[in-house]
Amino acid sequence: MSEPIRLHENGHTVSNIPLANRPTAPKRDEVELRFSEQGVAELEALKSHYPTLKACLLPALWLAQREYGGHLSPEALAEVAFRLHRNFAEVEGVATFYTLYNATHKPGKHKLELCTCLSCHVNDAPKIRDYIVKKLGVKHGETTADGMFTFEEVECLNACDRAVVLQVGDQYHGPLNEAYIDKLVDDLRASEASTVVQMAGEVVKVQLRSGEVK
Amino acid sequence: MAEYKLLLEHTNDPTFRTLEGYKRLGGYQGLPKALSMEKSTIIDSVKAAGLRGRGGAGAPAALKWGGMPKEKKNPHYLICNADEGEPGTFKDKQLLEQCPFELVEGMTIAGYAVMGDVGYIYIRGEYVDGARALRAAIDEAYANNLLGKNILGTDFSFDLQIHMGAGSYECGEETALMSSLMGERGMPRLKFPHAPFPVISGVWEKPTLIHNVESYCNVPYIVDRGAEWWSSLGAATKNSRGTKIFSVSGHVNNPGNFEIEFGTPLKDLLALAGGIRGGKLKACIPGGSSVPIINAEMVDRAILGYEEMSEVKSMVGSGGCMFFNEHTDIVKFIWRTCVFYANESCGKCTPCREGTRWLVQIMERIIAGKGREGDKELLLQVTSQIDGRSFCPLGDAASWPVMAAIRVFPEEFDYYIKHGRSMVGDPELVGALA
Ligand SMILES: Cc1cc2nc3c(=O)[nH]c(=O)nc-3n(C[C@H](O)[C@H](O)[C@H](O)COP(=O)(O)O)c2cc1C
Ligand code: SF4
Ligand code: FES
Repeated sequence: MSEPIRLHENGHTVSNIPLANRPTAPKRDEVELRFSEQGVAELEALKSHYPTLKACLLPALWLAQREYGGHLSPEALAEVAFRLHRNFAEVEGVATFYTLYNATHKPGKHKLELCTCLSCHVNDAPKIRDYIVKKLGVKHGETTADGMFTFEEVECLNACDRAVVLQVGDQYHGPLNEAYIDKLVDDLRASEASTVVQMAGEVVKVQLRSGEVK
Repeated sequence: MAEYKLLLEHTNDPTFRTLEGYKRLGGYQGLPKALSMEKSTIIDSVKAAGLRGRGGAGAPAALKWGGMPKEKKNPHYLICNADEGEPGTFKDKQLLEQCPFELVEGMTIAGYAVMGDVGYIYIRGEYVDGARALRAAIDEAYANNLLGKNILGTDFSFDLQIHMGAGSYECGEETALMSSLMGERGMPRLKFPHAPFPVISGVWEKPTLIHNVESYCNVPYIVDRGAEWWSSLGAATKNSRGTKIFSVSGHVNNPGNFEIEFGTPLKDLLALAGGIRGGKLKACIPGGSSVPIINAEMVDRAILGYEEMSEVKSMVGSGGCMFFNEHTDIVKFIWRTCVFYANESCGKCTPCREGTRWLVQIMERIIAGKGREGDKELLLQVTSQIDGRSFCPLGDAASWPVMAAIRVFPEEFDYYIKHGRSMVGDPELVGALA
C-alpha cells in the first residue's frame, strides 16, 4: 500500500490504513470465545431479524465492540467470524470499511470525533481542531499516552446547525468553544465508564427487538 | 413566503413522540383509511399527489410503488434510508428524533400498498438519539397492534426493524445501503440497464421499495388529507409538490431546519434563517455538498423547486442549504469538499477512487501557494473524467462542486494560482481596489 497522502493542514490524511495496522488472523486454536452470556443471547436474538446469517455481521460487530471493551481486536474479529460462520478476511474487510468500528487501532477510553467538514469548516473548525490538538497533544487518529482520549477528525456529523460539532460516544456537542472543550475534557477524565463501549451498547440495544421476520 | 409546517408542525410538543400525543395531534388517521382502501388506489393517490423522493434525486415515488410486483411470489422488503450523510443536511435527524411516528405510519401504509413483509430502517451509526426515539415509537406501535401480526384487525402483517450503520457516507447510496444491510462493505451494486431495478430485485434479490425518511413521512398526510389537498402545496412550481424541509447552516444568524412550500424563493429561506452574518452574502450551496455552488446574484433569483433550480444551474438535492459570507475563501472551501469525497469514496471504481485523490492533491498544491499555470484546466480535465464515468453517483457528485466553483468563481482560482494566496482578505488586493 502506498504512503497515505499528507494533506495541507496538520495531519488530516485521506483515510488509508497503514499496513502495520491491518488486523491479521490469529491462529485457529488461539481463538478464545469471550462473548458474555448476555452477548451470546443478544446475538441469537439479532439473527432472527434477518433472512440470512451474513446480514448479522454489522450488528454483530457492534456487539463485539461492546464485548471487547471498545476495540475490535483480531481476536474479536475472529470470534465474530466463528459465530457467524464467516471467514476472517471477510469480517476484517467489513470491519475496516466502516469508520465507527475500531478495528485498526485500539481507541482510548473516549473518542473525540470532531467534525471539520463543510459547515463546521466555515465556522472555524480548524481553530477548534488546533486547540484540541494542542491541549491533548495528539493529532488525528492518535491516542493520548494515558489511553484516555483518541482524537479524530470526521466528516459531516449532520448537525451543522450546531457547528462546530463534536461527537463523544452517543452524545453530540456543539456549538463548541474553548471553554466548552476544557470542561468536557475535565468531565470525561473524571467519568468512570468508557463512552466508546457505552455507545456500542446503545446501538445494540436499539437494534434488539421482537418482530418476526419471514 | 413564510414557513409552511406540515411534517414539522408539532416538533415543539414532546408528546408528539408518544403514541398518545401523536394520535391526539392528528396522527394515525391515514393508516386505518389506507387499510380500507384498494392497494392500487393508494398508489394512484401517491401518483396524483406527485410525491417525489426527498433523498436527493427527486424521482417520482409512484414509479417505484407501481413497479413493485402485483403478484406475490417472494417476500417484499421496504427500506427507509436514514443514513443521512450529505454535508449540510440534518432534516432526517430531526424527523427521527421528534416525529418518529410519522415515519412508522408512513412505512406501514407503504408496506400495505406494495404488499411488504418487513421494513428495515437503516440509520447511520452516529444517530443514536434518533434511533432511540424511533425504537420507542416502534415498540409502542407493536404494543398497540399498529405493527406486527394482523394490524388493526386486518389480515395485513408488517414488521419494522432498525439497522444501524457504522460510519460511511457511501451507504446512503441505495444499492450500497443494500450491500451494507446484507452484511457487506458499503459498495454499490450493478444498476439498470445492467441489472433490474430494486423494485424487481433489491435487497436479498427480492422486490424492494426504498425511500428517504422525509418521503415516507409525507405518506400519512397524502392518504389522510387527500392527494388533491397535498398537491395544492407547491402548485406554483412546474413539478414539485408538497413541502420540503431545508437544513440551513453556514454563516446565518439562526441556523436550523425550515419547512417551506415548494416555490418559495431561496432568499426567503435565507431570511427565515435570520439572514447572513459576518458580512455580505457571497455564495450558497442550496442542496447539500453535491450540488453546484451559486453566487449572491443567483440566490436573489432562485426559486426552490426541482426544475426551477436548474435556472441557476443548481439543484434542490437533499435540502442541505449552506450560505457563505464575503469572507469565505471559496478555493479552500472546495479543497475541503474534495477531501470529503476522497475520504468517502468506497474505492470500487477507478475514476472516483483515484480521481478524488488527484483533485485533493491539486487543490492542496494550489492552497499551499504552489499552484501551477494550467492547474485550473487540469482540475476541469480530472473532473470531466470522473463525471459520468463512475460506477455510482458519488463520483459525479465529487466532480460537480469543483466544476461549478470554477465556473462561478474563476477569478478566485486564478488569483490563488498566480499569487499563491487567497484574494479573500488579501491586504494588497484591498489596497489596490481602494
Ligand atoms: C453517494 C450518495 C449518497 C446518498 N445518501 C443518501 C442519504 O444519506 N439519504 C437518502 O435518503 N438518500 C441518499 N442518497 C440517494 C439514494 O441513493 C436514493 O436515491 C434515495 O434513498 C431514494 O429515496 P427517495 O426516493 O425517497 O429519494 C444518496 C445517493 C448517493 C449517490
Ligand atoms: S463512484 Fe465508484 S469508487 Fe466512488 S463511491 Fe461510487 S462505486 Fe465507489
Ligand atoms: S459540517 Fe459539521 S456537522 Fe455538518
